[in-house]
Amino acid sequence: MTTPVAGGLAQELAATVDELRRMTVQVRTGGAASGAGVLWSAGGSENGGLIITNAHVVRGNQATIELSDGTAVRARVVAHDRKRDLAALEFEPYRAMVAAVVRGSPRLRVGELVIAIGHPGGLVGVATLGIIHAVESEGEGRAPRWIRADMRLAPGFSGGPLADTTGRLVGVNTMMQGGLALAVPAAAVEAWVRRAHALAAP
Amino acid sequence: MSTVLQSLSAELADAVQSAGRAVVAIHARRRIPATGVHWRPGAVVATNHTISRDENITVTLSDGITVPASLAGRDPSTDLAVLKLAGQSLPTASLRADTPPRVGELVIALGRPGPSVTASWGVMSRVDGPWRTWQGAEIDSLLRLDLAIYDGFSGGPLIDGGGRVLGINTSALARGVPVTIPVATVERVVTELLERGTIRRAYLGIGTQPVRVPKSLARKLELTLDTALLIVSVEPGGPADRDGLLLGDVLLELDGAAVSDSADVLAKLGGDRVGRPLTARVIRGGQVKTLQVTPGERPQSQAA
Repeated sequence: MTTPVAGGLAQELAATVDELRRMTVQVRTGGAASGAGVLWSAGGSENGGLIITNAHVVRGNQATIELSDGTAVRARVVAHDRKRDLAALEFEPYRAMVAAVVRGSPRLRVGELVIAIGHPGGLVGVATLGIIHAVESEGEGRAPRWIRADMRLAPGFSGGPLADTTGRLVGVNTMMQGGLALAVPAAAVEAWVRRAHALAAP
Repeated sequence: MSTVLQSLSAELADAVQSAGRAVVAIHARRRIPATGVHWRPGAVVATNHTISRDENITVTLSDGITVPASLAGRDPSTDLAVLKLAGQSLPTASLRADTPPRVGELVIALGRPGPSVTASWGVMSRVDGPWRTWQGAEIDSLLRLDLAIYDGFSGGPLIDGGGRVLGINTSALARGVPVTIPVATVERVVTELLERGTIRRAYLGIGTQPVRVPKSLARKLELTLDTALLIVSVEPGGPADRDGLLLGDVLLELDGAAVSDSADVLAKLGGDRVGRPLTARVIRGGQVKTLQVTPGERPQSQAA
């Protein structure tokens, strides 16, 4: 390496983090901040906006969402899956917002940089950087169950986004296990949202 | 548009992918497998402490195929072991032997505690000169890491941002703290284990204990050091016994270097010292005496 790159790297990282913060919300149930959430769809004239978070973050069927600009909105729990540890919350969109963009391809690679956003210990919009630790092999055509990242996440990161360096969503941060951060893969969340919607439709 | 951030991410993943081809899983203990590196054609380096049996060892290669392996030899003092694979076309690791790692350099530790490669990243936190393990082996340089370690990571390579191997990681040489055994040390051990199946170490057959030399005696004998080594045991028929070292001698110098700790003695007893006489200065009966002692080859089971 002959040209200094650290400065450019820091700026680009800060820009990507800013972008990610805009699609990360705080999820509160019962008054206390309980975790993070991903703005999954911004909603439109006919549909409400959709937030995805962890099932363990929400209690009951109502929650308060605090958007990145500080606005608090009421949201209704429309799907809650303890087994997948996912929950979907619907809210009335009040302005144009930019929702998360899921990375469909290329496949995640071990060693790739990833960024997590969350709200640990009451601090809003905290970012942390890590790498993909392991990519589960897709045995017998089954989609991988977890993304494992070499990064340390505090509880306030639960339900928040794990994204690649272009700001595309690769997973929903869910728990720490054996020192590794585990996230539900974005593709699994997508499939779950589709199923949950089909069930919720009249 | 590719940014610096995206390029870095892709380069890290490339480094993992290319180096990962020479990283194998080693099944030689209960519970989870450990990691090894295909170091030279047909020779895999692993850590000694993760190989709990001498037979029925298998290795899972990067293409997912599991093959039998035989143990070429172990060296508990450096925590390294070498396994042999028959007829493999697996690529060998690309080694970085010319430029030592630098403090602050970005590094990646690879493991394969299962079918797929795993990675954790961090920086070199310490790069220092040679050090000696508790079992007396000399490691060419002290390499400490600021990165998280996971189960099954011992025996895996530490790589640089270009995927070149800087050494073999182990958690068994420094009370669970990860250290990296540098390429130079691994090369030495691999060569010797492949040639001889064991690491040759010189020994004298003495037990010592540090003692303070009384001031009056030190003045009388014009000594500069106040600590020396009292010989508290001499193995009957061993090299020191044959060459006339006696119980109660106080060892001051070995090969021209002052000794005040058993590590100072071990430092003089590398494999190349076997059969080559050393000059020993001792205090015997209130007088300084100079003797020649010729180290022998340490028997396998012996620790010191």
